[in-house]
Amino acid sequence: MAEIAMMSGFALILLGIFGALTNRNLLRMIVAFSIASTGVNVVLVSIGYLPGRTAPILDAAVPLESAAAQIVDPVPQALVLTAIVIGLGVTALMLAYAYSLFRHRKSLDISDFTELKW
Amino acid sequence: MVSPILIIAIGLGAAFLLGFVNEDRKGIAFALTLAALAAMSLIALGWTLAFAAGNAQTADILTAGFPPPFAINLRMGPAEAALSLLVAATGFLSAIYMRDALYRHGRRAMAVLLVAIMALTGIVMTRDIFNLFVFFELIVIATGGLVLLSEDRRALAAGFKYLVVAQVISIMLLIGIAFVYHAMGSLNIDDIGPVALGFSGAGLALFLVLVALFLELKPFPANGWALDIYESAHPGFSAIFSAASGSAALFAADKVLATSPAWLPLATAIGIITFIGANILALRQNNDRRLLGYSSVAQIGLLLTIVGQRDLLGDSYLFIAGGVLVAHAIAKAGLFWMSGLVGHRDLKDWAVLRANPVLIFAFATFVAMLVGLPPFPGFYAKWDLAHILMAGDRAWLVALILIGALIEAGYLFRWFGFATKREAPEGFPGFSVNKMGIVFVTLLAGWTSGWIWGDLSANPNVLSMVPVLFALAFLVLEPLPARIKNLIAIAGLVGWFVFRYPAYDPLQLVFAIIILVGGAVIFLASFNWQGRRLGFYPPAMLMYAGLAMLIEAETSFTFFASWEILTLGSYFLILRGKMSEPHALSYIAFSLGGAFAILAGFALAANGTQPFEMAALADVAQTAAPYVFILLAVGFMTKTASIGLHIWLPGAHAEAETDVSPMVSGILLKAGLFGLWVLLMHMGQTQFYGINLTYFLVWIGAISAFLGGLMAIFQEDAKRLLAYSSISQMGYALFSLALMNHLGWLLALMFVINHYVYKSMLFLAVGGVYARTHTKLMYKMGGLITLMPFSFVSVLIGIIAMSGVPPLSGFGGRWVFYNAIMTADMRLPIILIFLSGPIGFLYLFRLIHSIFLGQLKDEHRKLKEAPFWLLVPQMIFVLFLLAFAVVPGLILRRVDAYISTFFPEGGLEWTSGGIISEFGYWNPVAIMLVIGVIFVSVFLLLLWMNHDAQKVKQFNIGFAGERPYRPETTHFAWNFFAPYRKAMGFLVLPVVTTFWNAVTDVLHETADFARKFYTGNGQTYALQALGFVVVLFLIGSGGTP
Repeated sequence: MAEIAMMSGFALILLGIFGALTNRNLLRMIVAFSIASTGVNVVLVSIGYLPGRTAPILDAAVPLESAAAQIVDPVPQALVLTAIVIGLGVTALMLAYAYSLFRHRKSLDISDFTELKW
Repeated sequence: MVSPILIIAIGLGAAFLLGFVNEDRKGIAFALTLAALAAMSLIALGWTLAFAAGNAQTADILTAGFPPPFAINLRMGPAEAALSLLVAATGFLSAIYMRDALYRHGRRAMAVLLVAIMALTGIVMTRDIFNLFVFFELIVIATGGLVLLSEDRRALAAGFKYLVVAQVISIMLLIGIAFVYHAMGSLNIDDIGPVALGFSGAGLALFLVLVALFLELKPFPANGWALDIYESAHPGFSAIFSAASGSAALFAADKVLATSPAWLPLATAIGIITFIGANILALRQNNDRRLLGYSSVAQIGLLLTIVGQRDLLGDSYLFIAGGVLVAHAIAKAGLFWMSGLVGHRDLKDWAVLRANPVLIFAFATFVAMLVGLPPFPGFYAKWDLAHILMAGDRAWLVALILIGALIEAGYLFRWFGFATKREAPEGFPGFSVNKMGIVFVTLLAGWTSGWIWGDLSANPNVLSMVPVLFALAFLVLEPLPARIKNLIAIAGLVGWFVFRYPAYDPLQLVFAIIILVGGAVIFLASFNWQGRRLGFYPPAMLMYAGLAMLIEAETSFTFFASWEILTLGSYFLILRGKMSEPHALSYIAFSLGGAFAILAGFALAANGTQPFEMAALADVAQTAAPYVFILLAVGFMTKTASIGLHIWLPGAHAEAETDVSPMVSGILLKAGLFGLWVLLMHMGQTQFYGINLTYFLVWIGAISAFLGGLMAIFQEDAKRLLAYSSISQMGYALFSLALMNHLGWLLALMFVINHYVYKSMLFLAVGGVYARTHTKLMYKMGGLITLMPFSFVSVLIGIIAMSGVPPLSGFGGRWVFYNAIMTADMRLPIILIFLSGPIGFLYLFRLIHSIFLGQLKDEHRKLKEAPFWLLVPQMIFVLFLLAFAVVPGLILRRVDAYISTFFPEGGLEWTSGGIISEFGYWNPVAIMLVIGVIFVSVFLLLLWMNHDAQKVKQFNIGFAGERPYRPETTHFAWNFFAPYRKAMGFLVLPVVTTFWNAVTDVLHETADFARKFYTGNGQTYALQALGFVVVLFLIGSGGTP
C-alpha cells in the first residue's frame, strides 16, 4: 500500500515537473507545480505510513500507553500540513505574479519575458 | 543575555503589528519597522560582543518546552551571533535605504521585509532541518514580494522566474528532508549523519537536501534566475539578497555538511567551479548590477569552496570563512547601495560618483575588500587559507582560487578605472542624503571589520602599523592645500628614515635612502602643484608606507602585506595620469598576478608554520624549494618588468603624472629588485632538475636588458623611451644579481642607486619639457637648449651617467660590471649584455638630440625654462651624480663589506688612490681630472674654430626625391633609427603583448559565448537547475562505488 502511494507520489512529481517545463503558459505552469507539490505531499505521507496501524489520534481506541505501537508516524503528517500551507502561499504568490504580468504585458507566455538575460 | 528567540519573535510580531497600523500612517509603520529591525540587530550585537569578550557560551534555545528532536531548537553560537548581526544590520540599513520605495508600497511591503529578515535569522539559528525548509520557503515568498519594490518593470518577470526555480528547489529539498527523516528517524540536524558519500538510501536523501541547499547558493551555471533578480531588483533589496540571503544559505549548507564530512569534496567542486565560471562570465558585463550579481555568485562559490575545506582548516575555519564572508557581505552590500546613487546602469556611468570624493574612496575600499587586499578581512583569510591548503597538499586548489581571484580583480579594477577616468555626465542632480549616509556607514563597517580581523589574526594587524596609519592620516588631511600636505609627506619620509636609521643593515640602508630620502627629494617636485590635489597623497604615502615596511620585513606575512600595500598605493597613483586608465589596469593585473604567485610561494615555503621568518627561506625542503623559488621569482619579476611580464610598464610609467613617473620608475621598481635580492640571498643555490635556477635569471636579465633597450630606441614618445629603458636597466640589475658573485651584487646595488638617480632626473626633465611644450613626442621638439638650459644640463648629465661613459658613476658601474663578468662563465648572455651598452647610448643620444639640439620649432619660440620646483630635485641629482662619481666609496664601501659576508671572495680593495680589483684598478678622481682636461681642451678648440661654422636654417633639409606623405616624416628626428629598425625590427615585434592580448581575448570571448547560456527564459533556468542536479548525480554515482 505504502509503495503504491509512494510510486504514485513520485509519478505526480515527475508529471508536475514535466508539465511545468513543457507548458509555456504561466497558469498551466502553476497548475503543474501544484500537481508536483501534491505528489511531494503524497510521498511524505507514505514515508510515515506503517502497515496495519491506525491514525495518530489519541482517543478511546488508542490509549496513551500503547499508542507508540498502534499508530503510524505522526511527524510526516505534521510536515505535510505545513507543506500544504506553504504550497498555498507560493501558489497564491505565483498566481498574483501571473495576473500582474498579464496586466502589464498582455501575455501569459513565459518565453515572452526574456528581456533580462546573459 | 536577551534570548535569541526574541530576534525571531520581534520580527514576526512587528510584521503582525503592522497589520493594525492605519494604511495612511506610513510614518508610524516605517518607524515600527525600523525599531523592530534595530532591536533585532541589537540583540544579535549583544550576543556577538558577549562571544567576542568571552562572556557567553553557545546556547541552545528549546521551543515548545521539549528537548530536540521532539521540538525545534535554536542555537546561538559565535558564528550564529555574527551572522544574525550581519543579516539584521543589513536589513536595518536597507530599510532606511529603501525608505521611499517602502513608503510607496506601504505597510505590507514593510511586513514582508520584516518577515524576510526574520526568516534569514531563523535559517541561521535553527537546528531543525524541516524548520530550515520552512524558513527557506518564507524567504522565497518574501523575495517574491520584495523584488517588486523595484521601479524596473522587468523585475516582475525576474520574480516569476525566481519562483519557478524556487519551486523546483523546494520539491527536491522537501523530498530530501522526508527521506533523511526516514533514514535517521529525526529531523534534528545534530542527529543526522555521518552519512557516507553515496547515492542510494540515506546518501541519496542527503544528496537531495545538499543539492537543494547548493542551488540556493546559485551555483554556476544553474543561476540565471538569480542574476535576473540582481539586475532588476531594487538595489536595497539586492544588497539583502547578496549579503544576507547568500550568507544565511551558505550557513545552512555548512550546518548540514558539518554532519557528514564525506560530502565536503562535493561542496569544494561546486564552489570552485562557480567561483571561476561566474568570474569569467562577469568579464563581459556592462550592466553594473548584473556584474555585481555575477560577482556575488562567484564570492559565494569561493565561500562554498572554503566550506568544502573545513576538514583541513580546523580551528582556523571560522576565521577564514568569516573573513571572506564579512568582506563579501560588506563590500557587496555597499556596492549595491552605491549603485542606487548612480542614475544609469552602464559601468561607465559610475563616473558620476566623482562628484563626491568620499564615494570614490568608498568604491576603492569595497573593490579592495572583494579582491582581498590589506587591510581588510579577506586579506588575512586569503593568507591563512593559502597556507593551510598548501601545507595540506592542495596546491591545485590554491592555484584555482588565485586564478579566479585574479579574474575578479581584473573586472573590478577595470570598473574602478571607468569610474575615475571616464567622462562624468553634466547637470548632475545630487545624491540622496540617506542613501549616501548608508554607504558611509558601510564604509566605516568595512574598515572596522579590517581592524577586527587584523586583531584576531595571529599575524600583525596591518592597521596598527605606523607607516600605514601615517598614510591613512592623509585621507583626513585631504582638505588641506597640496603644499602643506607635501611638507608633511616629506617630513614623514625623512622622519621615519632618521627614526629607523640605526636598525638598518647596509643593504636595507641603501634601499631606505632611495625610498625615503629619495622619495622626499622627488616630493620637492610636487611643490609645483597647487590647489588641493585630491587623491594624490593618500595613495603616494600608501606606496611609500608599503616600501618602507617591505625592506624591514622579517616575516613573510609582513613582507607580503607590505607588497600588497605598495601595489595598491602605486595603482591608484598611476591611475591618476590623464591617459593611464588601460595602463593602470594592466599594471594592477600583472602586479596582483605577481602578488598571488608570491603568496603561493610563501605558503609553499612555510609548509604550515606561521610566522615564517624570511631567513627561513634558506631551509625550505629540497622537494619544494625549486617551486618556491620559481613562484617568488616570477612574482618579483612582475615588478621589475622582466621581459615577458613587462608589457604594463611603458604605458604605466609614461602616462603617469610628471612627479609620479619618477616615483614609480625610480623607486617602485626597486621593490621587485629588493625581493629578488632577498630571494637570492636565501635561496640562491636552488637547483631544479640539476640546473641552477639563477642561470635562468641571468638569461632573463640579459634578454630584458637587450630587448628593453632595443624597444626604447624606436620610441617617439620621450617618456615611453625612458620607460622602456627602465626595462633594460632592471634587466641589467637582474643579470648582475643572478651572477651570484661578489662584484655582481655590488654592481646590482650600483644599478639600484644609479637607476634611481638618473631615471628620476630624466623623467623630471622630460616632464618639465612636457609642462612647457605640451607634447611628449620628440620629433615635435628641438632646439630647446637655449630656452631650457637647466633641463638640458640634467638630461646631459643623466645621459652621461647612464650610458656608462666616463667620468660619471655610470662608468664606475661599467667598470665593476666588466670585472664581474670576467669572473662569470656564461658567454652568451654576456654578449647580449655587451650589445645592450651601445643600444642604450643610441636611445639616450636621441633624447638629447631631438629635444635640445637642432632647430627650434616656431610654436616653441616663447617657451620658458621648466617650472622651478621640477628643476630643484634635478639639480640635487646633478650634484649627487658628480659627487658619487668622485667618491663612490662613500656608499659602496660599506655595502662591499656587507656583501663579503655572503661572498667573501672577489671583493674590491678600497685605497685612497682608487679601487683595486683582481683585474685592474679604477681611480675616480683621476678619471674626472683627465676627462675634465680633455673636455676643456676640445671645448676651447671648438670655440676657436667657431668662426668657420655656418648656422643651418630651418627647412635646410634635402630629400632623396621623396615626397613626404605625412608631415612628421619631413622631420629627420621622426623614425630616427629607421635603418636599425630594418635590421633588428623583427626583435621588437610585440610578441609578448600579442600573447597577453590573446589571453584576455580568449577569456572575453569565452565569457561572451558562455553567457548566452542564460537565455532569460524561466523554463530554461528551471531545466538548468534540474540538469545541474542530474549531472551532479551522474558524476557522483559514477565516481563512487
